[in-house]
Amino acid sequence: MAYTLTRADDVIAADNARYPLGERQRVEDPLDQQVHRSVFTGKLEEVLHSAVNWGRKNSLWPYNFGLSCCYVEMTTAFTAPHDIARFGSEVIRASPRQADFMVIAGTCFIKMAPVIQQLYDQMLEPKWVISMGSCANSGGMYDIYSVVQGVDKFLPVDVYVPGCPPRPEAFLQGLQLLQDSIQEERRPLSWVVGDQGVYRAEMPSQREKSRAQRIQTTELRTPDSI
Amino acid sequence: MNVATPHDTTANEAQADPVVVALMQRFGEHAFVEQATLIGMPVLWVAREALVEMLSFLRGMPEPFEMLFDLSANDERLRGNRQGLPDSDFTVFYQLLSVSRNRDIMLKVALAESDLEMPSIVSLYPNANWYEREVWDMFGVVFHGHPHLTRILMPPTWIGHPLRKDHSARATEFDPYTLTVEGQDKEQAALKFDPEAWGMRRGNENSEFMFLNLGPNHPSAHGAFRIVLQLEGEEIVDCVPDIGYHHRGAEKMGERQSWHSYIPYTDRVDYTGGVMNNLPYILAVEKLAGITVTDRARTIRVMMAELFRISSHLLFLGTYLQDLGAMSPVFYSFSDRQKSYEVIEAITGFRMHPAWFRIGGVAQDLPKGWDRLMQGFVDWMPKRLHEYERAMMENSIVRERTRNVAAYSTQEALEWGVTGPNLRATGCNYDLRKKRPYSGYENFDFEVPLGGNGDAFDRGQVRIEEMRQSLRIIQQCIDHMPAGDYKADHPLTTPPPRDKMLQHIETLITHFLQVSWGPVLKPNESQQMIEATKGINSYYLTSDGNTMSYRTRIRTPSFPHLQQIPAVMRGGFVPDLIAHLGSIDFVMADVDR
Ligand code: SF4
Repeated sequence: MAYTLTRADDVIAADNARYPLGERQRVEDPLDQQVHRSVFTGKLEEVLHSAVNWGRKNSLWPYNFGLSCCYVEMTTAFTAPHDIARFGSEVIRASPRQADFMVIAGTCFIKMAPVIQQLYDQMLEPKWVISMGSCANSGGMYDIYSVVQGVDKFLPVDVYVPGCPPRPEAFLQGLQLLQDSIQEERRPLSWVVGDQGVYRAEMPSQREKSRAQRIQTTELRTPDSI
Repeated sequence: MNVATPHDTTANEAQADPVVVALMQRFGEHAFVEQATLIGMPVLWVAREALVEMLSFLRGMPEPFEMLFDLSANDERLRGNRQGLPDSDFTVFYQLLSVSRNRDIMLKVALAESDLEMPSIVSLYPNANWYEREVWDMFGVVFHGHPHLTRILMPPTWIGHPLRKDHSARATEFDPYTLTVEGQDKEQAALKFDPEAWGMRRGNENSEFMFLNLGPNHPSAHGAFRIVLQLEGEEIVDCVPDIGYHHRGAEKMGERQSWHSYIPYTDRVDYTGGVMNNLPYILAVEKLAGITVTDRARTIRVMMAELFRISSHLLFLGTYLQDLGAMSPVFYSFSDRQKSYEVIEAITGFRMHPAWFRIGGVAQDLPKGWDRLMQGFVDWMPKRLHEYERAMMENSIVRERTRNVAAYSTQEALEWGVTGPNLRATGCNYDLRKKRPYSGYENFDFEVPLGGNGDAFDRGQVRIEEMRQSLRIIQQCIDHMPAGDYKADHPLTTPPPRDKMLQHIETLITHFLQVSWGPVLKPNESQQMIEATKGINSYYLTSDGNTMSYRTRIRTPSFPHLQQIPAVMRGGFVPDLIAHLGSIDFVMADVDR
């Protein structure tokens, strides 16, 4: 599997450095090299990684952060009918310092962008970002002077959830996709052990994955009856 | 008095309007020019010098115009059809509402581009404060005598005035957005609160004040809203709300979307109100187009709008109680919302933003079996509402937290432009569905719930009662849904009825033109106010004879509601502020648009 590597070294950024900070490059699975060095270490590390990742992905604490309409559907996912607790993410945190991931649920306004960046910076590693809804993905239907055309202009986004707004189910699917990718991640197991880079797995595109199945649909239900 | 009739408007009965007569008696024949429009109220052009005096006359007359309903402007430099109107590059308009007379009046002032200055009217109507700041921000008109004329919607570092016709509309016309470390620091520094700039002291003889910044992201702020509190201990000495973190340029958007393709943008203004938002816009467009819709379409509209009122009030109820510290009601009320969405989705095909009303009707007919589904919801709700009342509103903690908290009188409410359930919680019986029925509300049997104390408790209680009344209205819709077409047979109905479209090439071409370029509406101005979920919402449309609007002014209820917060909260405590925020029922899109 291929990975994207982010080095955490250059934390002190120059003034003209652009967000997202940090250098990214595509690399092979770091474990592969280790396997050649020592079969045993490699396996142990793999076990450790997957154990840690399993813990991480099943206890993702969301940051209580909402921008606009999409936030309502996001909250809907938190309440009884959709029950996000099934995925271990019901512990909503009001402080970014206690949260694991942030959902950009809504429109990213130019006036709000520096605030979003500040809140993101206040979250502690490991941290992830889900971009929820067309506005956060690309500006959506708001190609207008006051709106940033996609939050990925300054934040690194892990999962994009399409829709305006996405249904709560779609948000839950996005969360599960994030979990899948966390399972494959390679992060420092400690600040003294091993490689200090963050390796993010390149996950398959959902569009390509489901295309064959989606185009199977030839007959759409008429809206004439419920 | 001159009456300018630039357009083929049906004769305005305004000549007989007693207020206009009174103005004429007081200020003379030549004090104003009357403009004939489809707005449904007298529209008078007055000289800048006479404005303040006229407004004070209207404010002070018997049965006065208590409320400044709206204040905004229009960049007229590119407007082609304005025959008979005074020359104007920028027009500032003032719309007043008299609850006692149940009447409105609009005054317009013409300004030349070289001389964009106006007297401030904050001393007459306190809620002019934010509106004047908005006009400065969006058009660059200076208001002399304004206590704090700064940007309100755009960031303090912004250059230009977005609603001017020469300001770019699209983000893609600017350089792509980038955020640098330096830019981030600069923007954050610009947002820093400076008490001196607001004329606030940093302490008194006894103590040093604390300035607490709440927002723009705070769990009880209901979105991107910021309020800075000046505190002496727990007591709020003063506070300054700061908005604009949710400005999506909805008004500018109206100037480039066709009359038809703008409908989805209205859904997103009060985003918990769904199709309720389509209603004022569609009704205003239909006035311009001269369309009378069928009874069936009107009834479907009322039914769906009321269903969304319930769903919005349920969201209110859950979050209001959560802000008071009750964690579980939100789970109950969202389960009920899910039930309402099941009905909404079956009928419109979408949950939050169906954009389902059309110029001349609705998108499609009700699906077979809708009544059973709707009846299921109507039967489900009463026992739940009863439960909410028993468990929450009769709960002594809820009562202690909300009774006599953040209370204001009817008079104060009107002064600040408060409308809707928040106004009715003060005991003022003013509901547009009764006072000025639109879309067939006169045919329904329902009551207008009123409060008495105007406190945070009454604002909650009134909404529970309103849900019951909405259920009553929906029940009547189920029982008496008229038969007939769901779209009006009119050349401007967009898109035209489908069977008409498929007859021959002519009708197909009309269909094609209407959905690609959009229908063309004759030059005129129209407005429609409705009783939306949060208060009075109105769309004021100016057509220049084009496929899109020349100016779309959206008056939303939440904007004045937030402006009123300092007046209510001075002397209160921080937890009271949270209770008050929960009881206002606002969403930021309804404030910043
Ligand atoms: S994507 Fe749609 S629903 Fe979500 S914030 Fe944007 S406009 Fe609202």
